[in-house]
Amino acid sequence: MTPFDSFHLPALPAGHPMELMTAGRLKCRFPAPTAELIEQTVEALREARRTLGRRPVDDVVEAVDRAAVRLADPGDPLRQEAEDGVGRATGYSPAMTRLVLDRMTADWRAPALRRLLRAELGDPAALDRFLPREGDRRTRAYGPGLSFHVFAGNVPGVAVTSIVRSLLVKAPVLAKLASGEPVLPVLFARALTAADPGLGAAVATTYWPGGTPEPERVALDAADLVVVYGGEEAVASVRARAAFGSRLVVHGPRLSAGLIAAGALEGDPATLARDVARAVATFDQQGCVSPHAIWIEDPAGDLTDRFADALAVAMDEVERVLPRGRLDAAATSTIHQERGAAELRGHATGTTRVLTGDGTSWTVVVDRAPGFRPSCLNRFVYLRPVARVDDAVEALAGTAAYLQSVAIAAPAELWGDVAHRLAMAGATRVTTFDRLPWPPPEWHHDGSGPLQELVRWVDLED
Amino acid sequence: MLDEAGRALRDELLQVIRRGAEGPLDDAAFDTLALRVFAYNHTRVPAYAGYCRARGREPGTVTSWRDIPAVPTAAFKEVTLLAGGAEAEAVFRTSGTTLGRAQRGAHPVADLSIYRHALRAAFATYLLPDRARLPFLSLVPPAGDVPDSSLSFMVTDVQERFGAEGSATFADPDGLDLPGLDAAVGAAVAEDRPILLLGTSAAFIHWLDQLVAAGRRHPLPDGSRLMDTGGYKGAGRDVPPDALRQAYRDRLGLPAHHCINEYGMTEMLSQLYDAALADHHAGRTRPPRKAAPPWVRSVAVDPETLEPVPPGATGLLRHLDLANIGSVAAIQTEDLGRVDEQGLVLEGRAAGAPPRGCSIAMDLILRETRG
Repeated sequence: MTPFDSFHLPALPAGHPMELMTAGRLKCRFPAPTAELIEQTVEALREARRTLGRRPVDDVVEAVDRAAVRLADPGDPLRQEAEDGVGRATGYSPAMTRLVLDRMTADWRAPALRRLLRAELGDPAALDRFLPREGDRRTRAYGPGLSFHVFAGNVPGVAVTSIVRSLLVKAPVLAKLASGEPVLPVLFARALTAADPGLGAAVATTYWPGGTPEPERVALDAADLVVVYGGEEAVASVRARAAFGSRLVVHGPRLSAGLIAAGALEGDPATLARDVARAVATFDQQGCVSPHAIWIEDPAGDLTDRFADALAVAMDEVERVLPRGRLDAAATSTIHQERGAAELRGHATGTTRVLTGDGTSWTVVVDRAPGFRPSCLNRFVYLRPVARVDDAVEALAGTAAYLQSVAIAAPAELWGDVAHRLAMAGATRVTTFDRLPWPPPEWHHDGSGPLQELVRWVDLED
Repeated sequence: MLDEAGRALRDELLQVIRRGAEGPLDDAAFDTLALRVFAYNHTRVPAYAGYCRARGREPGTVTSWRDIPAVPTAAFKEVTLLAGGAEAEAVFRTSGTTLGRAQRGAHPVADLSIYRHALRAAFATYLLPDRARLPFLSLVPPAGDVPDSSLSFMVTDVQERFGAEGSATFADPDGLDLPGLDAAVGAAVAEDRPILLLGTSAAFIHWLDQLVAAGRRHPLPDGSRLMDTGGYKGAGRDVPPDALRQAYRDRLGLPAHHCINEYGMTEMLSQLYDAALADHHAGRTRPPRKAAPPWVRSVAVDPETLEPVPPGATGLLRHLDLANIGSVAAIQTEDLGRVDEQGLVLEGRAAGAPPRGCSIAMDLILRETRG
């Protein structure tokens, strides 16, 4: 099979040597990451910015929208290439790949982008001209001269969303792809170039093995904004080498969870169980928005097992329509280890109950011990009964360094109070189970404004 | 200490062990003993009994050691797997950390005499097939300093039992005494006295790095040999086994068949070893394999279904160690390998995979090594 070209480089010289890598089951080709190649790329991106800076933001919105339309259209060859390539690289099942592509591309359509711009900047025209503001001044928002993105992980769409955010503030993008998903950003860049060659020239993306010194040195020296996804080590390494005065936006690994108040389990739990099952199953639980554990307010101790049974039915149902993807031996081995350990814990102490689907497809562990235990993911979720909601909040507070989204199911009158307590415990998003996997484009991603943290406001006091 | 029934079983096992790590134990005899150990584990470890019941595999219905339910090594972190009523003579622990708090696997040992006999028999067979009396130079902290380390227990025991005059240890819980080791090894070379070196792969990598940096070599006298074990934790980098063997040859002049890798784990009282030295001594040849003493059998299972794979195919290794009378004999590991009639080939770990997505992974929990 011909390797996938996991790069989009407007300044790639003809005959540049190529290297190969394998992402999941996708063979990929990328240009040898020389310092010279990145220097030429940076030069080309700077040139593209001169034009981009003079164009209205709505041009960006329109071009991104046209690219999104193609990636959303099952009849478009680009979409077919995306389904095939993303599926091979990530191991997600075809149904999961299609679902993720459908949901992610919706965020890149014009109405969503305009909503994001308004939510973040008030009047998007602030990116095009100086607008009158409070006081005797006018202000205008400028994006960075060059943004450098370092991607990680395999959740499709995360990288493209990051690229789109920079483009919306008229910043050219140099992006290092993740070995886990080196496909979608490239196809997006191709679609963008077809829709608007000038804008396409402002996006350069390629792969090199993480930590390769030369290309990263050139990129980090040139960029005045660095967006880095990844674990502690990767982030620390980028932070140490970023140019003085450059701005760093970090998205480290995160953890999400759920909380069900007793009042939400008064009737038939099937609907709620379906939403919880979907939240666990989406991205095969590998997303930062995927819940590791669901706390259940169960003062009399009679609600959790009933909900676990309903969740088991729902997990089976999800497996039928959105099968879990292919896992390697380490992942399935870990599921077996964690299941077996939980079972033995149950037999020894009576505090756990383990429900499983076919093979390693899904696992629900009712765990009555206090505290929190991270899931091994890939559709393995803990249900943790507690006497009071506060017990759950307290357990979650122990994870504050990583905590992101918490889905809650509770009577309406409890929402404000519970949300406040979760926020105090470190959460940056409180939502419902059905919305948990799909934060809106304008969400405060890990607590910050997705465009606000990219722009520099310039005051004109004339 | 084990109860009366356990002691009776132990005494039978000791008979087997006394016949040596290459002693006879045919399939039927192994199955018979395995099923009796299973029945004993089952009646004495209530959590294990429940685990077996849930699988519909209990004494009376199971007829082959391969069908005895195996407990995952992770369970040793969660549950005390010790024959009921027995008091542990020692508790060995794995090293490892988790999100914020230490959570280490614990293997309480009801009867240390089994461990002693099992480890000595296998060590003698695979490291000392020529019954050589050598000074043992160790890079493993002594058992007195690390009472919960099964590896320290083992190394100190064989050192005392088989080591000649001049045996010494160049490690304590604070670190390695590499200058001391260099001096002792240098003296052995000067006196043309063969030695036996023992340590973790990580410790040897550290030492070899220093020898390379200093441009030094110790051409060890003929008959010298080395036992390494464990992963590469603490070495700061991964070194493939072949490259490590090459470095032993370059820096220490040791031929490959005198460098023996031990495969053991806190959760198992018996160990497997490279068969190369024993084969070399006996004039046998076989492809590189680890050999198990007759009281241990291994099978590779499919990582998804946990069903045995055909001989020679790669899978997760599952061991049945009769020496685990006082806990659970059937252990499901996270080690990948293949098993055929010639022995076992270790192919790596199926654990601690880096996170695939953007969720925090529980990889910290999984970073386990034998302490």
